[in-house]
Amino acid sequence: MSKPKLIDENGLRVDGRRPDELRPIKMEVGVLEKTDGSAYIEVGGTRIYAGVIGPREVHPKHLELPDRGVLNCRYHMASFSVDERKPLGMTRREIELSKILREALETVVLLEEFPRMMVDIFVEVIQADGGTRTAGITAASLALADAGIPMTDIISATAVGKVEGTLVLDINEFEDKYGEADMPVAVAPQLNSIVLLQLNGRMTVEEVERGLEMAQAAIKKIREIQVDALKRRYRVEPEGLEA
Amino acid sequence: MLYFNENDLVIPGQLLADNGRRSGYGTYTRDGKLYASTTGLVRVVNDVVRIIPLSGRYKPQRGDRVVGIVSDVKPNVVEVDISGELTAVIKPPERETTPLKIDIGDCVYAEVKSVGIRGTMLSIEGLQKIPSGILVKMNPAKIPRLIGRKGSMVQMLRKESGCDFWVGRNGLVVVSGPDPGSEFAAVSAINLIEREAHVPGLTEKVINLLRRLRGGTVE
Amino acid sequence: MSVGMEKRGYAIKIMKNKVYELLKMGKRIDERALDQLREIKISTRVVDKADGSALVSLGKTKILTGIKVEIGSPYSDRPSEGVFTVNAELLPLASKTFEAGPPDERAIELSRIVDRCIRESRAIDVEKLVLIEGQKVYMVYIDCYVLDYDGNYFDAAVLSAVAALMTCTLPVYRVVDGRVEPVGERMKLPLRTIPVSITMALIKDKIIVDPIPTEEEIADTLVTIGYDSEGVLSAIQKSSPGLLPVGIFKEMVKMGLVKSSEVRTKLEEAVGRGG
Repeated sequence: MSKPKLIDENGLRVDGRRPDELRPIKMEVGVLEKTDGSAYIEVGGTRIYAGVIGPREVHPKHLELPDRGVLNCRYHMASFSVDERKPLGMTRREIELSKILREALETVVLLEEFPRMMVDIFVEVIQADGGTRTAGITAASLALADAGIPMTDIISATAVGKVEGTLVLDINEFEDKYGEADMPVAVAPQLNSIVLLQLNGRMTVEEVERGLEMAQAAIKKIREIQVDALKRRYRVEPEGLEA
Repeated sequence: MLYFNENDLVIPGQLLADNGRRSGYGTYTRDGKLYASTTGLVRVVNDVVRIIPLSGRYKPQRGDRVVGIVSDVKPNVVEVDISGELTAVIKPPERETTPLKIDIGDCVYAEVKSVGIRGTMLSIEGLQKIPSGILVKMNPAKIPRLIGRKGSMVQMLRKESGCDFWVGRNGLVVVSGPDPGSEFAAVSAINLIEREAHVPGLTEKVINLLRRLRGGTVE
Repeated sequence: MSVGMEKRGYAIKIMKNKVYELLKMGKRIDERALDQLREIKISTRVVDKADGSALVSLGKTKILTGIKVEIGSPYSDRPSEGVFTVNAELLPLASKTFEAGPPDERAIELSRIVDRCIRESRAIDVEKLVLIEGQKVYMVYIDCYVLDYDGNYFDAAVLSAVAALMTCTLPVYRVVDGRVEPVGERMKLPLRTIPVSITMALIKDKIIVDPIPTEEEIADTLVTIGYDSEGVLSAIQKSSPGLLPVGIFKEMVKMGLVKSSEVRTKLEEAVGRGG
């Protein structure tokens, strides 16, 4: 099969987007009953639930730390979330992404505020259409905020890709499959720092720099959607809380 | 300079102040500036900026009255699940001849005696075993609304529903009434308060709900 | 909100006593009638990448099922039948008592009950899932994920699996020189009956339908019964310790039959509406 055309004569992408255009994004906070905090996100065809349980006692007990809390993260995909049915159990990819997401979240969570306790973060991918790790961490941050876990910042993320030599924002699965590169980026915007960064493919130094700038600009918009989702969850009249 | 109005909803990472304000609950400082670390409503009390959380697990504070479930009874300590971050404990006084008459699965009402890194200790003085009722769980952040200004809401609830209320700051509430109808009405009222804690005129709504539900029961 | 607490290995005494006291008056702790199920909500075709899918809530219990269809080889002892498998996972975000990791005995029991309700009722017409006898058949993978657990995942899982099956479509293939190639069309998965399960709890001498966790944890025993559209039983599972008097079980079979047809009507309406 010959490689499909990814950028048309008008410079538009396979789904009609401009190179610097995000897919439609929907976020909702507080969607699950039994977690301490939860969120749901849709980015194009990507759909993810994130749930947080804790802080609670550490299991198993020997992993307990006397001076700070323990963060666990599990990134997991439903078998039917991908084109070819994913076998049950955790794949190597899921184990790697769980680690990457946990480390990114550890940079903002104030672990020292819950010593001898642990917080579990569960990212459940219901449908994967590219950008699941970035959408996943965006939703996980909202779930942590919903659970009242102290954090220095809320993480926002997107991916930059390269298709037919053009840098494009928020690549979908098709572009990821046939394109030249995929660079997921997560930042703590208020801290102006990167918390997750990977590259899968080939990019020049200049492209990496420009790609980061594109991601940062997009992340401002993603952040607004996160803030809006949190405000919708907690619309509160001040008089409502007077004791 | 302050970057918020009193009672604004703030989210983690939001800049709150850039000089001389002290960092209270739910905030942190970096490079001399003060930021929010928790989602909630921001307030300044005695020059300390603090956040009133709107969600999350219960964080015990000394003096809180809580409802808990006895989860284990050991020789020197009784463990109580207060739906918080860690299990709370009651330590019976040493050389006590009459042991505490509480057992696993009992529902107790007690005061938080101390909070520390070793966990939460509940006071043995004033400890009550709740004899009967329906246990309801609500968001701990909404308990102040259930209590109301100087206890006005819970007093109204008692009067209108005919039920006793044990209100725990930790979000657990027990209602016990003369008949199932009044207990169910009280549970509905609690659910309404949780759902519409932010809506003005809530007290009226709750009274109407209770009168409507109680109208259907035989006194 | 909820009157139910997480399953903790010991019952909360005041709740236990309250359940008993109310049952004596024919009432339940969440104000339902003894034989009343919680509200059922069904949305179908919620995952585009799946060949069939449904998100079902039964009260606050929420289960997502997705179906993937592949081509594979039949079992050698059943060369003229397609293959299907059922898997269920208790996602750790659904309850504080569920743990990450390989399915535990509860998850495996759940998947086997869903499997029996579908398999033994012969709901899927497996003979119609053959492309080349003895060589190529459709393989139907039914995967259920519990997203929120607030009691009775058995009935919610059967509902979501069956709703997903009702909306499932298969790519049509033609056989050319002993090979299969896609035609570019899809057909509905052939179903012969609509299995539905009803879970009942025995508490003292009372039978209640669709228990919440507060009821499950003090129940003397729990029984799940699967029925097909004709009212024939296709699965029974006594899923907790405790004695089940013969007379009580006979009552359950009858009560479950009535309830299963109510639920089936709701299911058919919901999926019909979904198109």
